[in-house]
Amino acid sequence: MTPEDLIAFESEIADIFNAGKIRAPVHLYYGNEVQMIEVFRDVKPEDWVFCSWRSHYQCLLKGVPREEVKAEILAGRSISLCFPKYRIVSSAIVTGVLPIAVGAALGIKRRGGPARVHCFAGDMTAETGSFHECLKYSTNHQLPIRFIIEDNAKSVCTDTRESWNQPVLTYENSRHPLVVYYKYQTKYPHAGAGKRVQF
Amino acid sequence: MPARENASNSDMKYFDELCRAMEFLGRDPRTIFLGQAVACPGTAMTNTLKKVSREKLLELPVTEEMQMGMSTGLALGGHVPVSIYPRWNFLLLSVNQVVNHLDKLPIVSNGGYQPRVIIRTGIGSERPLHPQYQHVGDFTEAFRLMCKTIEVIRLDEPDQIFPAYKRALEREDGRSTIIVEYGDYYNEK
Repeated sequence: MTPEDLIAFESEIADIFNAGKIRAPVHLYYGNEVQMIEVFRDVKPEDWVFCSWRSHYQCLLKGVPREEVKAEILAGRSISLCFPKYRIVSSAIVTGVLPIAVGAALGIKRRGGPARVHCFAGDMTAETGSFHECLKYSTNHQLPIRFIIEDNAKSVCTDTRESWNQPVLTYENSRHPLVVYYKYQTKYPHAGAGKRVQF
Repeated sequence: MPARENASNSDMKYFDELCRAMEFLGRDPRTIFLGQAVACPGTAMTNTLKKVSREKLLELPVTEEMQMGMSTGLALGGHVPVSIYPRWNFLLLSVNQVVNHLDKLPIVSNGGYQPRVIIRTGIGSERPLHPQYQHVGDFTEAFRLMCKTIEVIRLDEPDQIFPAYKRALEREDGRSTIIVEYGDYYNEK
């Protein structure tokens, strides 16, 4: 998929949501298409992908057919998209997937095989104790996993740097071997598509 | 010595039945036992694992929530984790992973993911020493109310033990199981 394909998908979902046709929250990406495509150059079909509540791009780039992703979103499940056939797990809870991803990676290591785990986390999630534990365990036990930190500077509306009183986030300039970090700026709010929808 | 799966229960006691159940679980190639004081001494539960192969025992750092998440992740890959929390009060630290994740994954995935985890916990013993109120909680009913897919079984009698663990291992209904032991009964029943 191209950056334009990804943007067009989210734009279509935004229009449907603004028309009041999705009776559940949607969490849209924008502005990180090039970085995501780059991340997915290193994701193979047998790999596991763990996501938060914002996961449309991951699903599309892992190979879930566009219409299948759209159908799940229209069914109200944008917030926790799961596609077992494609080994995608998402959670609507902050830090929720982190230790699950670690367990999946541990299972791969114990059984052997080429699969890897790719675990996505926002900038606030990456500052939590849970992230610290999971990264430390994965690093020290040499698990086949990497954590992709997506920094849009906010957790819902809370400014991550301001709330922690920390101008530079922990992994912002890190060269940790299991961490991929990128910044982006989105045009969409935390949830929805920027228009108040009345049902 | 093989587990006495077919042995009469009449002469067995609570602790012996737990040992028999753990040995039975340990024979299944899918199982892995994880937690604190699992591969090294430390709790009464440790002593029930003596006939489980050492390579199946994974000693974890004290990270209750990570442990539960890891158990779910292992289960997604086909393992059957036996995740050990010696007391309910310790298991409370993993509530997010139990209630929001392990319990809800089958629902949010439309039944696509059915991680099978066996959670082993206990009501802390009060005799001969009372460890006070952060160690003797029994949250069985609370967890039954919070969980939609996980079954919570409390082991009141020795003859419940082996069937409960066998069911937790062999169940095909996509549900995980919390099994609750009584610390006092290790020595009393």
